[in-house]
Amino acid sequence: MLKIIIPTIMLIPLTWMSKPNMIWINTTTYGLLISLISLSYLNQPNDNTLNSSLMFFSDSLSAPLLALTTWLLPLMLMASQHHLSKEPLTRKKLYISMLILLQLFLIMTFTASELIFFYILFEATLIPTLIIITRWGNQTERLNAGLYFLFYTLMGSLPLLVALLYIHNFMGSLNFLMIQYWIQPLPNSWSNIFLWLACMMAFMVKMPLYGLHLWLPKAHVEAPIAGSMVLAAVLLKLGGYGMMRITTLLNPLTNFMAYPFMMLSLWGMIMTSSICLRQTDLKSLIAYSSVSHMALVIVAVLIQTPWSYMGATALMIAHGLTSSMLFCLANSNYERIHSRTMILARGLQTLLPLMAAWWLLASLTNLALPPTINLIGELFVVMSSFSWSNITIILMGINIIITALYSLYMLITTQRGKYSHHIKNIKPSFTRENALMTLHLLPLLLLSLNPKIILGPIY
Amino acid sequence: MKPPILIIIMATIMTGTMIVMLSSHWLLIWIGFEMNMLAIIPILMKKYNPRAMEASTKYFLTQATASMLLMMGVTINLLYSGQWVISKISNPIASIMMTTALTMKLGLSPFHFWVPEVTQGITLMSGMILLTWQKIAPMSILYQISPSINTNLLMLMALTSVLVGGWGGLNQTQLRKIMAYSSIAHMGWMAAIITYNPTMMVLNLTLYILMTLSTFMLFMLNSSTTTLSLSHMWNKFPLITSMILILMLSLGGLPPLSGFIPKWMIIQELTKNNMIIIPTLMAITALLNLYFYLRLTYSTALTMFPSTNNMKMKWQFEYTKKATLLPPLIITSTMLL
Repeated sequence: MLKIIIPTIMLIPLTWMSKPNMIWINTTTYGLLISLISLSYLNQPNDNTLNSSLMFFSDSLSAPLLALTTWLLPLMLMASQHHLSKEPLTRKKLYISMLILLQLFLIMTFTASELIFFYILFEATLIPTLIIITRWGNQTERLNAGLYFLFYTLMGSLPLLVALLYIHNFMGSLNFLMIQYWIQPLPNSWSNIFLWLACMMAFMVKMPLYGLHLWLPKAHVEAPIAGSMVLAAVLLKLGGYGMMRITTLLNPLTNFMAYPFMMLSLWGMIMTSSICLRQTDLKSLIAYSSVSHMALVIVAVLIQTPWSYMGATALMIAHGLTSSMLFCLANSNYERIHSRTMILARGLQTLLPLMAAWWLLASLTNLALPPTINLIGELFVVMSSFSWSNITIILMGINIIITALYSLYMLITTQRGKYSHHIKNIKPSFTRENALMTLHLLPLLLLSLNPKIILGPIY
Repeated sequence: MKPPILIIIMATIMTGTMIVMLSSHWLLIWIGFEMNMLAIIPILMKKYNPRAMEASTKYFLTQATASMLLMMGVTINLLYSGQWVISKISNPIASIMMTTALTMKLGLSPFHFWVPEVTQGITLMSGMILLTWQKIAPMSILYQISPSINTNLLMLMALTSVLVGGWGGLNQTQLRKIMAYSSIAHMGWMAAIITYNPTMMVLNLTLYILMTLSTFMLFMLNSSTTTLSLSHMWNKFPLITSMILILMLSLGGLPPLSGFIPKWMIIQELTKNNMIIIPTLMAITALLNLYFYLRLTYSTALTMFPSTNNMKMKWQFEYTKKATLLPPLIITSTMLL
C-alpha cells in the first residue's frame, strides 16, 4: 500500500516546487500514474483479502473504491484549471495541496484495517473538504454550507468513536480481519440498540439518509468543482463502505433495527427524486439525485443479502463516476454563463454538439440505461429488496420512473430546443473539458464489459 | 516594569509552582501556592487601568479563598491522620475540601466565573501565563491526591465545566474571553479522568498548554484581541492565518491533529471503566467549542475579510520567532503510521 501512499505524499512537494506553468501538468500526470498503480489491486485472490501490512489491506470491496479515488484526482485537477487561472500562484498551489491531502486521507481510509484508524482518517477527510468548500466556494452561503457539513458529520461520528472504543474493550481488538472470526451475535436489548445506532448513524449522515441529508445540497452546491466532484464521487461512498464493514459486527440486530432506516430510505428516494423535478438550480438537481441513488445503497446494505451487497458496490462505483461527470458538465455551463440556473443556458446542442453528446451519455447512465453498470447496481438492489419484501417493488419502480423523468428533464432543458438568445457568445468547448468527460465516461462504459471487478467480495 | 523587578517576579512565580510540585509537606505546598499568587498579581496589573485592577482583585480574592480552603482541608487531614505528608487522604471531608479548593484555583465550574473576567482584563502575555502556567500547580496536586478524590464530585464538576465552556464561549468576539472559555472546557476534560487514569490528565495538560501557548503567541504577533483585528491578518501575514486555522481545528479536537489525542484517550479510559453516556455527552458538547473556534477561522483564514490596509510588511517583534516552533508540533503529533 505504501507504493500508493508515498507517491501521493510526494505529490505535495511536487506542486510546491514545480515551475509555475507546469504545476497542473505535473500533478495531473503523476496523479494518473498513481491511479495506474492502484489498478493492480483489482486483481484479487478469490475469497480472501490482499494484506499489505499490519495496518493496510485491500479486498474486493475496497479495491474498486481505491481505484475510483485515485482516478478522480487527475480529473479534479483538470476540472479546476479554469476557475483557478486568475488566482495568485500560492493559492493555486494551496488548492492543489488540499486536493492531494484529501486524496491521501481517502486512500488510507479505504485501505485501513483497524477500525479506529479508519475512524481517524474518516474524520480527517473532513478538514481538507471543509477548507476547499469555504475558502474557494463562490457564494456567501458557502460558510453556512461548511458549517452544516462539518457539524452534521461530527454529530453522527462522535458516538461512533465511543462505540468503537467500547467494542475494542469488549472484543480485544478492532483489526477488521480478525474480528470477522470473533463475532458473537448481538442480541436485542436497549443498550445494544444504542450501540447499533451509535455505530451506524455516522455512516447514515454521510450517505446521506433522507432525514439527515440537509448538508448535502448545501455543500455540493457551494463547493467549487473539485470539491463537488470529490464529495459526490468518493466521500458519500465512505459512508457506504463504512456501513458495509461495520454491519458484520452488528448481526442479527440489524434485522430488527433496519426498519426505520429502510422506510426513510425508500420514501426518501422518491421524495428527493421528485424534488429534482422541480429544481431550477442545476447543481442542486444533481445533488438531490445523489441523495436518491445513495438511498438505494442504504436499502441494499441494510438488507444484507449477497445480491444486495453486489448491487450496492456496483451502484457506488457507477454513481461515483456518473455524478462526478454530471458535476463537470454543470461546471462547464457555470464557467460560461456564471450562473447555475438551468433555463438560462438552453439549447446548447446547437452550439456545442460534442458537449451535448457527453450530456446525453451522462443522463443515460444516470437513469440506469442497460447495459451500464448503473443498471446492474440498481437492478440487483431492486431484486433483492423485492425478495425482502414484495411491496418495495412499487416504490422502487416509481423511483426508477422519476429518475428517468428528471434526468431527461435536465437533458432536454439544457440541450434541446431553441437556444436562449444571450448565449451566442460562449466559448467553444475546450479540449480539456472533452478529455475530462471522456475520462469519466470511458471507465463507466468499459466496466459494463467486465462488471465482475466492481461486484464486491460476494461475487 | 523595570527588568530586575520583572526577573524577580517571574522567578518567584516559577519557584512557587516548583515548590508546589516538588514538596511532600502540605504546609510547603500551601506556601508555594501563596508565593505564586502574590507574585503573579503585579504581572496581571502590568497595564495600570481600572479594568486590570479589577481583574487582579478578582483573581486575588478567588485564589486566596481557595488557598484558605486548601489549608482547612490540610488541617482536617492533619487532625485525622496525624501527619503532614501528601498521600492518600483518608478523611472524605478533607478530600472534598481539597478538591473544591483546587478546582477553584483551576477555574472549573461552578467556580469558573472569575476566568473570563480576569482573562479579559489583562494583557495577552499575562493571559497566556494565567491560562497555562497557573494550571500546572493545582493539577499536580490533584494528580498526587487522585486516589482519594471523590469521583462523583469531580465528574460533576467536569461535566458542568465542559457544558459551561461550550455554551459560554458561543457569544464571544473578544479573543481572550474565547480562550478563557476554552480553558474552562479543557480543564473539564482533564478533571474527568483524574480519578480513572491520571496519566491521561498529564497528557491532556501538556497538549493543552502547547496549543494555548501557540495560540496566544500567534495572537500576540498581531497584537489582536478581538475577532475583528484578527480578521485583518490575511493581508499582513497570510502564512500565520493558515497556522491559526490548523491551531483552532486542533483545539477543537479534530483528527488527525494533536488536539484529538487527549479526547480520544480520555474517551477510551472512560469507556474502559464502563461509562458510556458521560463521554458521549462530553464529546458532543465539545462540538460547541468547535463551533466558536471554527467561527474564528472563518473570519481569519477562510474568507478575505474587508480590511482597510494594503500593507505587505510589518515590524516583527523578536520574541515571536519562537512561535514558529510550536505550531508544527501541534499539527504533526498524531503519529499513527
